[in-house]
Amino acid sequence: MSDLQRSFQKSKLAQFPPEPPMPLNSHLGALDEVDDEQEEEEEGQYDMEEENDLDSRTETPSSPCSSASSTSTIRPLFARPEPRKKASLEPLPWNQYFSSSLYLLHEPTSAVYHAYLTSPSNSGPLFVMHHGAGSSGLSFALLASEIRKLLPAAGILSLDSRGHGETKTPNDEDLSLPTLSQDFVTVVELVKEKCGWSGKMPDLVLVGHSLGGAVVADVAMEGKLGGSVLGYVVLDVVEGSAMDALQSMQTYLSTRPSGFTSLAQGIEWHTRSRTIRNPTSARISVPALLHHHHHPSPDQPPSSESTQQRPWRWRTDLSKTQPFWSGWFVGLSKKFLAARGGKLLILAGTDRLDRELIIGQMQGKYQLVVLPEVGHFLHEDAPGKVAGVLVEFYKRNDRSALVLPPKVSEMYK
Amino acid sequence: MSDLDHAISLLRSCKPIPEPAVRELCYKARELLIEESNVQLVDAPVTICGDIHGQFHDLMELFRVGGDVPETNYLFMGDFVDRGFYSLESFLLLLSLKVRYPDRITLIRGNHESRQITTVYGFYDECLRKYGSANVWRYCCEVFDYLALGALVVGAGSFVGDESEECEVEVVGAGGDVVTRLKRRDDGAGLMNAVNPPQEGDGGTVGGPPGSGASGSSGGTRGVNNGAVLCVHGGLSPLVDSVDKIRLLDRKQEVPHEGAMCDLLWSDPDEIDGWGLSPRGAGFLFGADIVKHFNHLNNLTLIARAHQLVMEGFKEMFDSSIVTVWSAPNYCYRCGNVAAILELGEERNGSGAGIQWSATTGRGQTFGVVRRGPGRRYRVFEAAPQDSRGMPAKKPVADYFL
Repeated sequence: MSDLQRSFQKSKLAQFPPEPPMPLNSHLGALDEVDDEQEEEEEGQYDMEEENDLDSRTETPSSPCSSASSTSTIRPLFARPEPRKKASLEPLPWNQYFSSSLYLLHEPTSAVYHAYLTSPSNSGPLFVMHHGAGSSGLSFALLASEIRKLLPAAGILSLDSRGHGETKTPNDEDLSLPTLSQDFVTVVELVKEKCGWSGKMPDLVLVGHSLGGAVVADVAMEGKLGGSVLGYVVLDVVEGSAMDALQSMQTYLSTRPSGFTSLAQGIEWHTRSRTIRNPTSARISVPALLHHHHHPSPDQPPSSESTQQRPWRWRTDLSKTQPFWSGWFVGLSKKFLAARGGKLLILAGTDRLDRELIIGQMQGKYQLVVLPEVGHFLHEDAPGKVAGVLVEFYKRNDRSALVLPPKVSEMYK
Repeated sequence: MSDLDHAISLLRSCKPIPEPAVRELCYKARELLIEESNVQLVDAPVTICGDIHGQFHDLMELFRVGGDVPETNYLFMGDFVDRGFYSLESFLLLLSLKVRYPDRITLIRGNHESRQITTVYGFYDECLRKYGSANVWRYCCEVFDYLALGALVVGAGSFVGDESEECEVEVVGAGGDVVTRLKRRDDGAGLMNAVNPPQEGDGGTVGGPPGSGASGSSGGTRGVNNGAVLCVHGGLSPLVDSVDKIRLLDRKQEVPHEGAMCDLLWSDPDEIDGWGLSPRGAGFLFGADIVKHFNHLNNLTLIARAHQLVMEGFKEMFDSSIVTVWSAPNYCYRCGNVAAILELGEERNGSGAGIQWSATTGRGQTFGVVRRGPGRRYRVFEAAPQDSRGMPAKKPVADYFL
C-alpha cells in the first residue's frame, strides 16, 4: 500500500462519525488493507489495544444495548487477534488472576472439587462461574481480573466441573445435568464453610457459559442457594439453537486435532482456529484443557505413533459426553425465564433466540446483550466488555443499594 | 406524479427507493418533525398502533384492516424497525406518508429507533445489505432523533358503535365481525382499588354527579381539560410526574441509557405497588397506583403504550387506566400472536370522554375526580400470508454448544 493510499484511508477513517459501523465482514472490504498496517505492529499490542478499547467503552456497559457501544470506536475492526509470528505462546499461570486454588474434599462422596477463588471484601458480591463442556475454571481468568478492576470488592469463584480441570470425583463420567447442578451447589457450600461465611453468605451472581449456562439456570430454578442469589447470567447458549447444533456436534469434534506436540501448539491451534480469539486468554485457559500423555507404562497398551508425537491430549473426551447433551439443554429457556432473580443473557454475534426467549424478551422478562465481534468464548475474547456488563448487572440488582422512587401511598402519608 | 408520490407507490409495493430519494425524504421529514412538540397534540378520531418491527406485509394488512392514509388518521407508537425483514421499507413508507400527509399520521419514537439498538437487531444490517453502505441507516437515525416522545389524543368520544348500541369497548376480528361488546359499567375506574362507585351518572348523561363540582364537556369543548389519552412507547418515569415535564425534555438526541427520556421508551406496567426494577436493564416497572395517580394529576383517562408483546394483540390493565397495543402479528415470523390497533372515535353531541364525578377512597376521603375512559374499538388481525421472497437465508446453525 502506498503512502498516498494509506493517508487516503486514514483520512477516510477519520471521517467516520463516532457511532456507526458495525464490523460487518461484508463492508470491511474497503478497509481490509489497513489491517496490514496494524499487523506490522509488535505482538503484545493486542492486550493494550483491547484495554484502550475498553476504556472508550466503559461509558455504557450497562445498557441493554451496550453491545453496540463498542461501535463508538472503529478499533475492533482491526484488533483481530490473529496469531502473529512473534506471538508468545507461553502458558500463563493462574495465580496472576486468582488469589487461591482450592482442593475441596467432599467427604460423603470423597470427591475432590477444584476451584479458583478470589474472596469478596467489604460485603462485595461473589460471582460464581461455571464453564462450558470441555473447558475449565481458567476460562474465566481474564474476566475475573477485569471484574475486579471495575469492582474491587467483588469476589470470583470459578470451579472446574466434574470430568474437567483438576476436579476428581469417583465418577467423572457422569456429566448429567442434575449431577453437575448438585456439584455446583456443593462447591459453593464447601467454599462457604472454608471461608467461614457461615454467618452471612455474600450476594451471589451465578454465571454460566454454554453448558455452564444450563447448570446455572437449573441451580437458580431449583433455588438451592436460597435468597443470596441476586441474579444469574447465561453466556452464549440458547436452547433452540443449541439443540439444532447438537446434530453437527460430533462432526465438529472430529475436526479437532486429537493431540498436540506441546502446550504452545495447543494454544496456537485455539487462536488460529479462532476458537479463542484472544491470545492472552488462550495462554491462560488452554493448558488446563490438555494433559500430558506419559510414556507407556507396562500396564498400558503400547501407544500409537501419534500419541508419541503428540503427547498433549484433551483432558475431557467430549464425544463420550454425547448421551448427556440433550439433557443439558432441554427446558433451558423455560428455566431461565421462570427462576427467581435478575436474568441476563449475553450472546455472541447475532441474537439466536428461540421462540420462548423472543417472547420473553419482548415482554421485558430479562436483559439481553448481544456482543459483536466475539466468538463463542465471548468472556475470553472480550473480557473487559463482559465484565462491564456483569458489573452493571450486579449494581442494578444489588438490593442493598436499591432505592426506588416512593409509592403513591407513601406520598400521602 | 410528484417524486414523493412516486416514492410512496414504490414503497407500497415493498421496493426500496434510491439512496438520494431517501436522503431527500429524511431531510424533509426532519424539517417537519423539528417543529413538533415532544408531546404531539392529536385530535380524535385516531387509530393507535403499536410495534411494527419491519413486518412490512403485516403493516399492509394493518392498513387494510384500519383503513388507508389519509382516510384514516393514524398514530404509531414507535418500534418501526428491527427484527423483521423489511424495516427499511416499513419505516420509509410511514415516513413518506408523514411528509405527504403531516396531519393524518403521527409517529412517535420507540426504543428501537436508536443507533445502538438498530446495530444489534437488524436495521443496520438490512440497510447495509440493501444499499451497500450505511448512509441510509445514518439518514434514518438522524430522523429518529427528531421523532416526538409521545402524543396526547384529545376529543375522543365516550362510546363506540352506533347510537342504538353504544358500547365502551368493542373488539372486532379480522373479518370485520364484532367479537365482543362491552357496555359501559359506570362504577368508576376503580381509583386506588378502593373506590366507592358513584350512585349516579349512567351512560348517557353529560356532566358529573353532585359533589364533583365539575361538569363534563357540555357544549363539546375539546381540549386537554376533557381528559385526554397519553400515547407513549414504553410508559412512565419516576422523573416525570406531569405531561408538561415531558414537554421540557431535550429530545433531539440518541436515546440515553437512563433518565426520563429513556424511561418513557423503556418502562413497563406491572402488577406491583409503586416502582420496580425493570428486568430489561433499562427503564422501570410501574404499578397501578402510579398510573392512576399520574392520570388523575394530568387529566388523563387512559395511557396507550406499546413495547410489550401481547399474544392477544392488546391488553388493558389497572381498571382500564392503561392499555398495551401490539401491532406485529406473529412477531418475528414465529411467535404465533395476533395483533391489534385501537380506534378512538370522535365525541358526538358533546358527550366527551371527560365526564367526571367524584370518587372517594375506601376511607371515605374524597380523593379526587375520576374520568371515564374513551370508547375503544380494538381491531384484531392476523399475519398477512407470508411472502418469503427477499427473505435472507435462515441463520446458519450455531457451530457451538460446548
